[in-house]
Amino acid sequence: MTAGSGDSQGAADRIRAFERAASAEELVAATRRLTDCDDPLATVPQLVQVLGFNNPGAAVAAVDGLIAMGTAAVGPLLANLDAHNYGARAWAVRALAGIGDPRGLDVLEDALATDVGPSVRRAAARGLGALRLEPLAEQEREGVRLRCLEALEAGRGDGEWVVRYAVAVGFEGLALPLSPPHPHRQRAVAGLRHLQQPEQEETLVVRLRAGVALKRLDNR
Amino acid sequence: MAGDGEPISEAEALDQLRQTDDQSRQYYAAWWLGRMRSQHPEAVPLLLSALTQRQPRDPGAGVEHNAVARNAARALGKIADPRAVPELLAVLDDADDGLREAAARSLGELGATAAVPLLVRRLASGPAVAGACRSDSPRLQEPCEAMLEALGAIGEARPEVLEVIRPFTAHDRPLVRSAACRALLQLTGETVWADELLQLLQHPQLQVRRAALMDLGAVGWRPALEPIRRTFAENSLKLIALRGLVEHGRGSGSGSEADSDDEALLMAMDALL
Repeated sequence: MTAGSGDSQGAADRIRAFERAASAEELVAATRRLTDCDDPLATVPQLVQVLGFNNPGAAVAAVDGLIAMGTAAVGPLLANLDAHNYGARAWAVRALAGIGDPRGLDVLEDALATDVGPSVRRAAARGLGALRLEPLAEQEREGVRLRCLEALEAGRGDGEWVVRYAVAVGFEGLALPLSPPHPHRQRAVAGLRHLQQPEQEETLVVRLRAGVALKRLDNR
Repeated sequence: MAGDGEPISEAEALDQLRQTDDQSRQYYAAWWLGRMRSQHPEAVPLLLSALTQRQPRDPGAGVEHNAVARNAARALGKIADPRAVPELLAVLDDADDGLREAAARSLGELGATAAVPLLVRRLASGPAVAGACRSDSPRLQEPCEAMLEALGAIGEARPEVLEVIRPFTAHDRPLVRSAACRALLQLTGETVWADELLQLLQHPQLQVRRAALMDLGAVGWRPALEPIRRTFAENSLKLIALRGLVEHGRGSGSGSEADSDDEALLMAMDALL
């Protein structure tokens, strides 16, 4: 650790240390320190920048930091989405899925339907069941939830078991806050029943996860 | 006609495997039929025919020899038709160690007990001979990892089988040790072999930690849940390992519903998505 930069909790000092990081290892350490300072919001631009560096260790730390920041990170994440840098975009999808802000809906829908990376599609499926809809007006809330449902229903046909597993988790997350008669909850339950059937779902762990979700939904 | 790597139909895959002018198309078609676990009646006969294809060695060309046959061997394991066993057994004695490797894995997937004496014979000389490094490549004399894993998967826990596997738990290469421990844990259920795998989960090399993850998953060793969560490796691989713990670690009495142990594993998986 460089003398003079390591001890201060100050965001400005940590950003300077981050910009001086000269190796992959230093970048990981400096990124971790960015997420733990007296003014985390000041470090959002640097955290977003890290997603494009092709340094997985640093990107994991940056995603965790951005998720902890919550909605304040959504604007910069969306503004910096880079269609030409696959890695950066994949990390941004993971961050948006973790934050759960409805402004990320377009990106998550697109990622689940089209991304080539199963790890990105699985993050998107999880995120589509975990959007925080309470701040929205009721009509808007219903519209967003409907799009999530449609995206998850399409995701049931994904070729990778881990994505279908995440779709089951997504259905559960989407349905849990709703009252039993709510049509969206019933639609999510239908999606889960589909994933529980051996005739329709070949992977045992996916069927078991769908079964757990159905049990939890019945018990509420 | 579709080129390499493009989506093709089952009929196209069968046609491309049947022709013999273009080996790269055969190579892809054999892979495709395995990946799709084709149940077409012509798939197994065509793959068995491809399994006999051999190319003259051409060290200068830099291409993989017998690549079509190797993909055919892998596909036959995935399709899991017992008709393939006799031909795969014959391939265990082929001069091409890559082909022996593919055949061993497939015989393991097929649970072919007939392969046990052959595998035991090829490994009997132990780490110093069968497990020695070749002079012409970094590969070993025998594809030890694949053969050890096959013995574990087939599941015949006879004393002479265990005796042949045990010395490989002290092999120089951690990946071979991992494969040997995996097989012994599958065959004996003895905790000592799980402890070895848990040690390898903390190995400084990512490649070794990945192998230990896959091995613990293949055995379904449930006490590994916490060490798997904590190890430094990609979430994608941890998810595959935890799936193994859920699916292979289920007691014979459990039905299609998750019990509370299963649920703890599933919640750990949720946290990795």
